[in-house]
Amino acid sequence: MTVKILLADDHPLTRSGIAEFVKRESTFELVAEAENGLDAWEKIQTLKPNVALLDIRMPGMDGVTVAQKVKNEGLNTAIVMLTSYDAQQYVIASLRAGARGFVLKTVSPKELTTAINTVAKGGLYLDPEVASVMGEQDFIPEQLSVREREVLLLAAKGLSSKEVAKRLFISERTVQTHLASIYDKLGSRNKTEALLLALKYGVVTLEELLEED
Amino acid sequence: MFSRIKRYFMRPRSHFLAFLLCSLMLPSIAVVLVAVVGMASQENAMEAAVSSYVQDLAESMSYHLSNDSDIWTFQLLTDFSRFPFFSWGPSIPGWVALLSQEGKVIASSPGAMNIAAIWRPDLPVGHAVRTEDRQGAQYTLAVYPVKRPGGGYVVAAVSWSQLLGGLVGVVRIWPALIVMIALSSFFAIRLLWSRLVIPLQSIASEIDSMTLGKDVPGKFDEAVVKEIESVQTALTRLAQAAVDRDNLRNRYVRDVVQAQERERMDMAREIHDGPLQDVTALLQQIHMIDDTEKENVRIQRTEQIAKSVVRELRALCDELAPPWMDLGFSEALTELSERLSQAYDVEIITDFDDVIHDLDIENEKILSLLRIIQEAVSNAVRHGGASEINIAVHKDDNDVLTIEISDNGSGFDSANINHETLRVEGHRGLASMTERMSLMGGTLKIESKTGEGTTITASFKV
Repeated sequence: MTVKILLADDHPLTRSGIAEFVKRESTFELVAEAENGLDAWEKIQTLKPNVALLDIRMPGMDGVTVAQKVKNEGLNTAIVMLTSYDAQQYVIASLRAGARGFVLKTVSPKELTTAINTVAKGGLYLDPEVASVMGEQDFIPEQLSVREREVLLLAAKGLSSKEVAKRLFISERTVQTHLASIYDKLGSRNKTEALLLALKYGVVTLEELLEED
Repeated sequence: MFSRIKRYFMRPRSHFLAFLLCSLMLPSIAVVLVAVVGMASQENAMEAAVSSYVQDLAESMSYHLSNDSDIWTFQLLTDFSRFPFFSWGPSIPGWVALLSQEGKVIASSPGAMNIAAIWRPDLPVGHAVRTEDRQGAQYTLAVYPVKRPGGGYVVAAVSWSQLLGGLVGVVRIWPALIVMIALSSFFAIRLLWSRLVIPLQSIASEIDSMTLGKDVPGKFDEAVVKEIESVQTALTRLAQAAVDRDNLRNRYVRDVVQAQERERMDMAREIHDGPLQDVTALLQQIHMIDDTEKENVRIQRTEQIAKSVVRELRALCDELAPPWMDLGFSEALTELSERLSQAYDVEIITDFDDVIHDLDIENEKILSLLRIIQEAVSNAVRHGGASEINIAVHKDDNDVLTIEISDNGSGFDSANINHETLRVEGHRGLASMTERMSLMGGTLKIESKTGEGTTITASFKV
């Protein structure tokens, strides 16, 4: 089965580099290239690729907005953000917008292949370089309690400890204790990392994260 | 001696004006006192003279009438004016009269008709007394008995109103004049006080409380002399000029800082979109090299170099103006605190109000706030050795956003902070934090005590 791929990047050199690689893989078919967000959005609608590789920073419409549109329209195209932004908050923003993959442009061809194949099958792929701890493959996380999962999901939505406490009818201090325990179990150092690791280990799913309350 | 007095007046004295006014007032008071004393003693002297005069007159009359039978005739009595005693001096007018024992006038000098009205049987005999008639006119009179069969009295009198004549007017005007002098100097001094001293004091206190470059003196509303008015005008103009100059300087600094930040943002963008992408493309090309050739150490090294250039360029972008700032205020804050926590290996606990998700803050302001937080965290770790830092962001009902960065480091004595000194000593950090906030129209407060950590509070209206 070939994976139909759309590539959007405003920078000609990096775009042609990625394009060259995609074309080289026999299981991939590069159906279109786009040099800006609007172009990408139009081509996704008409060509309905399996996977769209989107740069975040593009003129006209950025990649996160395109992903959001794809999600809102319920299109069956899996989005992989292909960017040079290494900020974890961009990962969160992309995942919220419905992207299922986040890969840096410096990624190795092998990893990019894995990323495309993973999201094409409905999985989630995050570049290990975005968070250094995510590269520690041998780490086995402890099971989170039901309450801890609730706290993590609410915190992941960007709610403050105070607000999380209010929603769950517990004290702010208890929320802090839960968070500390979550960090400990997942081996993370902060909220964003905890969420990314929880997604990576399958402790929470992207769908749970995207659920509106 | 003279030089000492001169030195006294040359030195600034707080009560000098009061002293000056008193010294003006003193002569008037002295004149009043001297006049009162002078008048009293003059009256005493005249009283003594008049008393002895009437006493002498009455006594010699009674002596002659008692012992000299030749002149005890009606003839003589009817022609009193012949008596040598009645040759009155030009200065002292007076009368003399011979009264019967019942008080009837037997004979009198001209004009002495009303002596009978003054005389009373109970008047002491033999010395002068002061009395007054029914109209209140003052007299000094002396009564002597006539020692002859039939008896009678000799009465000599001087009328004060006649004695003093025109002088009475002057004497009555004197106190009025003195009161007038006193009153007019009092009013003059009062005017001087209200138009000169008080305005001077208010100018002094105005200057004292004014921060040059920040305030302009309030309206001076007292009525003042023209010279003071020009001083007030000059002061206002001077203060206004200082305020204008300060505003200009602030605007200049703001422009410079803004231009600098804008340039940094542009530069970061240029690097991100240019060299960073180019090196990334280069890396991709290296990745495409056939696996067999990839065994080549040189190719592996080239890949490592390209990767490290990408990392360095990213770090440079973050340093200039982190591109993730575009995500918005709360995301940028989260990203920054997580990065700082990793970079300094320190626990950073964040507590952000949920309302800050919806805040729309310009990138330039976000950049300023990020730099302030960065500086605060860096100071807390490097200078304070802090292991835990709290970053709290709250917005109050008046749309004032407050960012509080507190640490558990060693702290310092914040009461002694002087930005000028810090700047001179090369510690630009605290000074530039304060400057950034003031350019945003906000404030920065630094609270610290040795051994109790530091709290930095930045607030501004969103």
